[in-house]
Amino acid sequence: MATVQQPIIIDGRPLKEQLARAERRKKYVAFAMVLPLLLFILITFAIPIGSMLFRSVDNPRMITLAPQLTAELSEWDGQDMPPEEVFEAAVKDFKLAAEAGTLGRIATRVNYSMAGARSLIVKSKRKFKNVTEGPYREVMIKADKRWGELDTWKTLKKVSVPYTPVYFLNAIDRDLDGDGNIVKQPSEKRIYVKLFVRTLWIALLVTVLTLILGYPIAYLISTQPPRISNLLIIMVLLPFWTSLLVRTTSWIVLLQTQGVLNDLMVWMGVISDDGRIQMIYNLQGTLIAMTQILLPFMVLPMYSVMKTIPLSELRASQSLGANPFITFFRIFLPRSIPGIGAGGLLVFVVSVGYYITPALVGGAKGQMISNQIAFHMKSSLNWGLAAALGTILLVGVLVLYWLYDKVVGIDKMKLG
Amino acid sequence: MDKSAREAYVSFNNVQKSYDGVNLVVKDLKLDVQRGEFMTMLGPSGSGKTTCLMMLAGFETATSGDIILDGDAINDVPPWKRDIGIVFQNYALFPHMTVQENLAYPMQVRKVSKSDIEDRVKKALGMVQLDGFAGRRPGQLSGGQQQRVAVARALVFEPKLVLMDEPLGALDRQLREQMQYEIKHIHENLGVTVVYVTHDQAEALTMSNRVCVFDDGVVQQVAAPNILYEQPDNAFVAQFIGENNTFLATVKEKNGDQCVAQVDTGETLTALAINIGQSETKTTLSLRPERVTINPNAGEFKNVVSGKVKELIYLGDHIRTRLELCGQDNFIVKVQNAARHSHLLEGETVQVGWHIEDCRALDAL
Amino acid sequence: MSLPAYTGPVGRIWHAAFIAICCLVFIFLMAPILVIVPLSFNAEPYFTFTPAMLRLDPEAFSFRWYLDVLGIGEGTGANRGYEWAFAARNSLFIAFFATLLATALGTLAAVGLSRTQMPFRKPIMALLISPLIVPIIIIAAGMFFFYSKVGLAYSHLGVILAHAAIGTPYVVITVTATMVGFDETLIRASASLGAKPLRTFFRVIMPLITPGVISGALFAFITSFDEVVLIYFLADAEQKTIPIQMWSGLRQQISPSILAVATLLITFSVILLVAVELLRRRSERLRTSAVT
Repeated sequence: MATVQQPIIIDGRPLKEQLARAERRKKYVAFAMVLPLLLFILITFAIPIGSMLFRSVDNPRMITLAPQLTAELSEWDGQDMPPEEVFEAAVKDFKLAAEAGTLGRIATRVNYSMAGARSLIVKSKRKFKNVTEGPYREVMIKADKRWGELDTWKTLKKVSVPYTPVYFLNAIDRDLDGDGNIVKQPSEKRIYVKLFVRTLWIALLVTVLTLILGYPIAYLISTQPPRISNLLIIMVLLPFWTSLLVRTTSWIVLLQTQGVLNDLMVWMGVISDDGRIQMIYNLQGTLIAMTQILLPFMVLPMYSVMKTIPLSELRASQSLGANPFITFFRIFLPRSIPGIGAGGLLVFVVSVGYYITPALVGGAKGQMISNQIAFHMKSSLNWGLAAALGTILLVGVLVLYWLYDKVVGIDKMKLG
Repeated sequence: MDKSAREAYVSFNNVQKSYDGVNLVVKDLKLDVQRGEFMTMLGPSGSGKTTCLMMLAGFETATSGDIILDGDAINDVPPWKRDIGIVFQNYALFPHMTVQENLAYPMQVRKVSKSDIEDRVKKALGMVQLDGFAGRRPGQLSGGQQQRVAVARALVFEPKLVLMDEPLGALDRQLREQMQYEIKHIHENLGVTVVYVTHDQAEALTMSNRVCVFDDGVVQQVAAPNILYEQPDNAFVAQFIGENNTFLATVKEKNGDQCVAQVDTGETLTALAINIGQSETKTTLSLRPERVTINPNAGEFKNVVSGKVKELIYLGDHIRTRLELCGQDNFIVKVQNAARHSHLLEGETVQVGWHIEDCRALDAL
Repeated sequence: MSLPAYTGPVGRIWHAAFIAICCLVFIFLMAPILVIVPLSFNAEPYFTFTPAMLRLDPEAFSFRWYLDVLGIGEGTGANRGYEWAFAARNSLFIAFFATLLATALGTLAAVGLSRTQMPFRKPIMALLISPLIVPIIIIAAGMFFFYSKVGLAYSHLGVILAHAAIGTPYVVITVTATMVGFDETLIRASASLGAKPLRTFFRVIMPLITPGVISGALFAFITSFDEVVLIYFLADAEQKTIPIQMWSGLRQQISPSILAVATLLITFSVILLVAVELLRRRSERLRTSAVT
């Protein structure tokens, strides 16, 4: 007898609906538990970073400080000398800015794109003070003949757009010329591409060095009985727990020319007293200190993979006729690759964004991209460029993070 | 050592093993395995049987004594030169290699030519009925299939000897029984020498030519399965192999190969004197539950005592009957569920009897 | 490590070389920490062992840099004792509240994330862990602008919020890891015995995940306690902490007082490490006893 399946009804409601409702409620409960942290991270972390990165294309200064000039410049086609209206707007805006005390900021912004623009604009404060009527063009050219040059106005037009690719172009050693073409920076200003390459190179070297140094000890720890391996693990964890600044201080003490290592070598007669080796405040210093600091990040993931490789597999290999070397290369090494991947990616990601150690022990040659970002944030105050460099760095790091998630899985990240 | 006339293929000569320098895990082991034999080491966990296997394989070093394989002492031969195939408890298949690569591995390290390797892998897979699985990885196989691959891998390079360390422990009961027969048949077909370790006595009895029972680092008895069951040398073996009724009794007199012993409640029983001391010493009388007859004909048996039925458990082919007799209440009798069998009732008093030959007086437990 | 009897000469040499390499790596790992401790007792204002120290002459050792740090010695400028004491107070204050905030938010979120019904689990997890991965300089720059705009820059609250943000990933990771081994049937058992969900949370879930919570909290604490870049961008003299004091000391003129502070910090981290290790063993015991 064929029966049509009737929906099950309990207390006047279909069971299916009730089950779905209960499931939904559980979902809300779970989400509600996560929500406070999610909001906290969004507000204190994600949004600040997002809005900072926006500065890499945002160009609000001219629009807010010289609104008439910006409006007139956007009308101008940029081919021939601009019309009288542009000159009039320039004089009026500069006068207003001078009264409001913001002329210096306009000057600084234009100066990023045109050497000498600062003095040109600041000078106008005095020159334009008594100008009340046109023709403004003649007045300006009389004040400084650079106002009669097409390039000056092209630069002004360039810096007055609301969104600009210039910071990103600068971050890869390019610039816009007066006609809006992308050109290379003059060779003495081409530093960022080189710096990015050096940053990646340092990160790669640190990753390789930590792998070379970390693999043997991870192997040793994973093959020892618990009593010894616990002790060895603590020797790896202690540096991990020790303050970064303390460890960097130690490396300064050890490596500087009047430091412990040089003294030791002089005492042993390896080098003469005036032949002391410069081991710090250069690339080498950054490499040594970063390798030591990041070594635990390499050892711990490798160890946690290695200890899961069963002894019986290695014994099986030997019983099948493979000597310890073949067993290592054909069984142990391939089985430990997930650990190498996890540790390597982690070390690489962390070292790409390293800041403190290079700043303290890197000298000029051991600086990384983070140090340049800090420089533009704190000293040159070229925040747009800092944001552009930061965006490029962050995109790189996020790609690596995504890769780490694919290869290892972020929920498998372990601490100690 | 009646078989010592034939040259032993594997022998342990007075082998001792200690991990901590104080306690011996294996005590003065003497054991010979013949060529082509299926020898099982049976014993409870911690009895030293796996240690013996690992010493044979070369992963543990004997503290003293020699281990001989095919005429040579192998104490100083590293594992990879011993030519011994091993099936591990957890299979130890290489998860990063396919079945094909797992099987090819021992031949690759021996530099066998590619075409030979392919032939032999194919043959080995056929032997364990896994044709067509060569491209899979161990993770894609069921437990039973992994087990077969492990067996094939231990055999594919034609080793001098195959060791199996509780290889069926991880399988469910039905699969385990099936694999027991398969391994047994492979052994019979190839004629390879096998040393097998297990704690499961049924498995040991099913598969082996001879079984070596271990306890506390000492060999208790080495014998064929039927002898082990029917003629245990001591109380441990009797207890460990199969089910067993035991009485603690005092030896009264010894007549040739028989003896008379008295249990604490006063009944005197006659038994075969296997392993007893002088008169008035304690002994354990051992009796298989299926060798006991309930309500026997008068004069049929020398040993007849009366007991009270305490519990009846229906088990299909037989009825497991628990009796109280001679002062103990866990005397088990297996009553065949035959057509003519008389139904017992709980609380009923019955006579039970058995042959002298079925009751063995062993060492006091 | 004992070698089996059959090991040949090549194997023995390899093994010895391997052990030697491992020793060198361990020295490389530990030396920086070990060297700084005796040097902090140097009687002279040098950063190297004086001949007198190597002779173990008691005259060559002194507590003068510790006295400086504690404000009893004759230190000058930035190394005057009360500067360090002030920085230490700030460090502890900021780290304490940042840890409290990070632990509360992180634990709750981790328990939620471990529910099977949690929607968008992966992307949310990725976002919550990201403060661990994003370079600190980018975080600092972003927070600098944002916190200035909303008036949180140069305040203790701003620094606490910033430190809590970078501390939460540790709590989320450690608590989620404890929850992975959590036996869901315990929750059902508790419910079947008559406990309401909230009671179950405090009486069953919390005690079992406490080791994870505490070790996450310790990570968050040490992260805040050791943090320098965010402070450098977000704080001024009022929020000066020990790391920023060391940082400026290292960038200008390195004084031996820094070695004394470093030694004190090493002692501090040893204590924390021991605490975490004990916790780890405890939770392992709990877990294994639950299985058997």
